[in-house]
Amino acid sequence: MEEKGEQKHKFEMSRRNFLRAGATATALGVIGAIKAPVKVANAAVPSNVKFSAGAAGQWSKLHPEPDYGGATVRYAENNDQWLGTSKIVGTVKNISEADMGFALAARGLISDKAQRGFFNFVPKHPFGGAISWARTWIASEDAVDGQPAPEKLPIPDPEQMSQHIKDAAYFLRADEVGIGKMPPYAYYSHKIINPALLVHNPVEQCVKPFTERLPYVIVVMVDQHLETMLASTGYDGISASQSMRSYHATGNIAIILAKYIRSLGYHARAHHAANYGAVMGPCILASGLGELTRTGDCALHPRLGFRHKVAAVTTDLPLVPDKPIDFGLQDFCRVCGKCADNCPSGAITHDKDPVEHNGYLRWNTDMKKCTEFRVANEEGSSCGRCMKVCPWNSKENSWFHQAGLFIGSHGETSSKFLKSIDDMFGYGTEQIEKYKWWLEWPELYKVAPGLPPNPAAPPATSK
Amino acid sequence: MGTILVFVAGVLFLAGILFIKPRAKCELMWKTVLNWSLYVVWYAITWIGISFVYINFNVGHVKATSTAIFLFLGISVVLAIALARLLGFIGVKKISNTTVQV
Ligand code: SF4
Ligand code: SF4
Repeated sequence: MEEKGEQKHKFEMSRRNFLRAGATATALGVIGAIKAPVKVANAAVPSNVKFSAGAAGQWSKLHPEPDYGGATVRYAENNDQWLGTSKIVGTVKNISEADMGFALAARGLISDKAQRGFFNFVPKHPFGGAISWARTWIASEDAVDGQPAPEKLPIPDPEQMSQHIKDAAYFLRADEVGIGKMPPYAYYSHKIINPALLVHNPVEQCVKPFTERLPYVIVVMVDQHLETMLASTGYDGISASQSMRSYHATGNIAIILAKYIRSLGYHARAHHAANYGAVMGPCILASGLGELTRTGDCALHPRLGFRHKVAAVTTDLPLVPDKPIDFGLQDFCRVCGKCADNCPSGAITHDKDPVEHNGYLRWNTDMKKCTEFRVANEEGSSCGRCMKVCPWNSKENSWFHQAGLFIGSHGETSSKFLKSIDDMFGYGTEQIEKYKWWLEWPELYKVAPGLPPNPAAPPATSK
Repeated sequence: MGTILVFVAGVLFLAGILFIKPRAKCELMWKTVLNWSLYVVWYAITWIGISFVYINFNVGHVKATSTAIFLFLGISVVLAIALARLLGFIGVKKISNTTVQV
């Protein structure tokens, strides 16, 4: 216990002081310990691609400034001690996809009900099932990856190319896009071959090593739809559909961007909810699209909150990465706790501060409890109650919510003030009936009685 | 509708200035400044409230709408009464016109 206390004390150097120290150290050139980045491909000699870039430092041509919705945003670091506002306190190990929450459920390591629930918690609602089915068409290895074109096409310089890639994402209907230096630990060590295998076979036979290491990550973000969330309880029939909507949309954008980049002659692999090779949380932080929240690994964007899903493209296309951002969310989450108060499974911690988890600090949320509730929820399909109630997620874009975000991004006292106003006005916990457009079939929400057959096993009968 | 509200707010602001101008100017400078400051604050709070209620009502935030009506209307009425009192619209006793009978 004492050791834990000591360890905690050691980590208590304030984030901003540390960032200052980090900046000084960088200036002195002493951060030699940072691992050398994976190799960026050399660009072909530029020719006339009839592109006039925006001004230097501009975000993109379609969005000259990033839209943070009124929050005051500072830049943070992506090095071996910080990823944005998340402090790295040890070695962050690459994890296996088979150790993620849903995979643990499929392996039967959470409960029997959760294991059965995993295989029907989305398709038990016909609409969620339909969107999820559409995702499977973009899930194959051929859809997400491939060989780059043998000849590199001429492209503009990395900064201009970054603007262009962001605009391509906006054109494809991304709500937000960012480019990051890919943290090597964000890659999975192993990838699941087929989730159904996990039920019947030793885990080593169900995964394959994931070896790709590319220097940059492009993250695209799509909103889970405000009005739908306002009408939902957060764990009724539409909940999984909200996730699937954004998984499908971001997946489409990611595979197109990856294919486009490969056509230019560079490596690029799409990662989306039906075929990940990396954990999205660190990719979001690295791309300057959010900070980690009290919910554990959900990253919150200043304007969209965590009412979003993302997909990513890892690539060696020469780009200029954005910096991680700090908009005071760690202070806000410390005094808020609204998600913890409203989580139906009690999965979200009420602790004041984050704790160490796999070499970095994050709030100590119980992933197993959350997963169990989501896959075995018989009042609906999955859950997003924490997303619904969070003060950063539950608002339309208006002048006073922008003012609220400004206040919320200025330390614990103003965060407390904003949280009280949020509660006083009843935001987050209301259900706005006029937006309830979907259909419910409660009789379909039971957990499946059995498990799927072993995909590796031979057919039971043959004639 | 939002644009119309902004237009109405602007027109009423100017009308309000013309309306209180004869009464706002006092011999003491600080009183004049107080009158005008209170007018601007009252007007701003009132329209912030109207805008807040309008947006929240449209989106369907029921509790936010009712709380805002109570909060902003309350502040607005209190300020309006104070301003009216300072400008002499209310609470000033009329001076009697009668002559003293001997
Ligand atoms: S998704 Fe639901 S169960 Fe999981 S942490 Fe959020 S509120 Fe809790
Ligand atoms: S509800 Fe509050 S504590 Fe939870 S993620 Fe949102 S801001 Fe943080």
